Amino acid sequence: MRLENVWLRYHRRGPWVLRGVDVRIGPGEVAVVLGRNGVGKSTLLQVAGGVLRPGRGRVADRPGRVGWVPERFPADQPFTVARYLTGMARVAGLDGPAADEAVTGWTDRLGLAAFRAVRLPELSKGTAQKVGLAQAMLRPPGLLVLDEPWEGLDATTRELVPELIDEVLTAGGAVLVSDHRGETVRLPGARRWTVADGTVTEETSAPDEAIAVVEVAVPAARVAGTVARLRADGHQVLRVRPDASSNKPQAVDGAGAVVEQAAGETR
Amino acid sequence: MSALIRLRLAGFLRTGRALAPLLAGLVVLGTLYGGGRAQPAEAYGVSAVVLFPVLAWQTKILLDVEPDVQRRLAQVAVGVARERLAGLLAAGVAALVAVAVALVFPWLVGGVTGPVDPSDRSVPVGVALGVWAHLLAVPAAVALGALASRASVGGAGYGVAVLALGGVGAVVLGLAGSVVPWLAPPIMATARTTAGDAAALTLLGLTAWAVAWSAAAFGGYLWRRRAQG
Repeated sequence: MRLENVWLRYHRRGPWVLRGVDVRIGPGEVAVVLGRNGVGKSTLLQVAGGVLRPGRGRVADRPGRVGWVPERFPADQPFTVARYLTGMARVAGLDGPAADEAVTGWTDRLGLAAFRAVRLPELSKGTAQKVGLAQAMLRPPGLLVLDEPWEGLDATTRELVPELIDEVLTAGGAVLVSDHRGETVRLPGARRWTVADGTVTEETSAPDEAIAVVEVAVPAARVAGTVARLRADGHQVLRVRPDASSNKPQAVDGAGAVVEQAAGETR
Repeated sequence: MSALIRLRLAGFLRTGRALAPLLAGLVVLGTLYGGGRAQPAEAYGVSAVVLFPVLAWQTKILLDVEPDVQRRLAQVAVGVARERLAGLLAAGVAALVAVAVALVFPWLVGGVTGPVDPSDRSVPVGVALGVWAHLLAVPAAVALGALASRASVGGAGYGVAVLALGGVGAVVLGLAGSVVPWLAPPIMATARTTAGDAAALTLLGLTAWAVAWSAAAFGGYLWRRRAQG
């Protein structure tokens, strides 16, 4: 699938969110879309998935069957989990028994079996997100588009996401996934697209490029967030260790940690 | 696509928001038939006029019930064109159910009468004209409701304005002597026709007018949807 010179803005006189984007992804490939909040990651994913139509340019060779997991599942609907998923399975073209089988299979696998009779508005954010994941997988997609798929998921299901991605890739599909939490470290073979200023650049690995290791001291309470941000920015976090001087009284958090990151290998 | 139509209708019915236009429709029909008995063609002609804004409102509610993200999920599943068509067809089905209620209602409350004078139309002919009058109103009302929907106008306030202007405009611009009657769907002209002489050529002309107006309004809706993304 190719995005060829894609431009997009939401209003006629609004600013261009995407400007001349040229990217391609092939069967069996996964690309991670990185970038700061509001730069257009979700927009890029929605253009790729066929949710948004580019103002200029075109999307070529999009697979016929697309599964899209939105950043926020629309839980404000008057259906139970089972009724909604069965309805979406039929919308996706599955007949009665096949739809029931797919719904049963995915609700079991994603830990939704106990919620089958629960109405969507009553679900927690994480459980609703699982429903969003399930509806995208009811028919094996040729292109799976995941917009912040780890958001709100429990640890067990977070581990399941790379597994699902692998299954799509193994079946010859392609996967696009955005992430600002650094979870895509779980996808070691992924291509990395960085969105900034309306354009998309693909980070290419350069084995011969010199790598520098930068040590960053952060308050211990902020380690998780810092690691996530560094990973989202494309840096490789090598390890996190307690600060040797953390025995000394700290002015703010009382403890510190040092994050070692390799810089330069991915940019 | 039929699965998506069923899903949208189910969403509309399960939210309970279908009750509001249903009750409004019953109120206007009750008011219409509460004043006395009329012959079917004449009664149904007026019934189609008063139902027009109700059907448009019902369409707007049906299309607005679905969250925007769910509409996009449906687009991904069936494609943009089919998603838009499914919404319109679901609204059309709901409108036809309302029309069926409107056609049966006067017989239940004694609002219609048979021929009084030998020159009066027979009941079957009157009913046929009434069905025709309602069927002319359905696509125009669905198109107006679609134009007023959130997916078309973007904001709730604009939608109400479009609905109100369309509903009032259909009556005002359709009055006898209007200089621009073609700006509105021919529901008023249809009511005048069912109450008077219904020549075949007139029926054909009104049908063509309704089809052309509805096609233009549907075109406007699709253009707005395209513009809204």
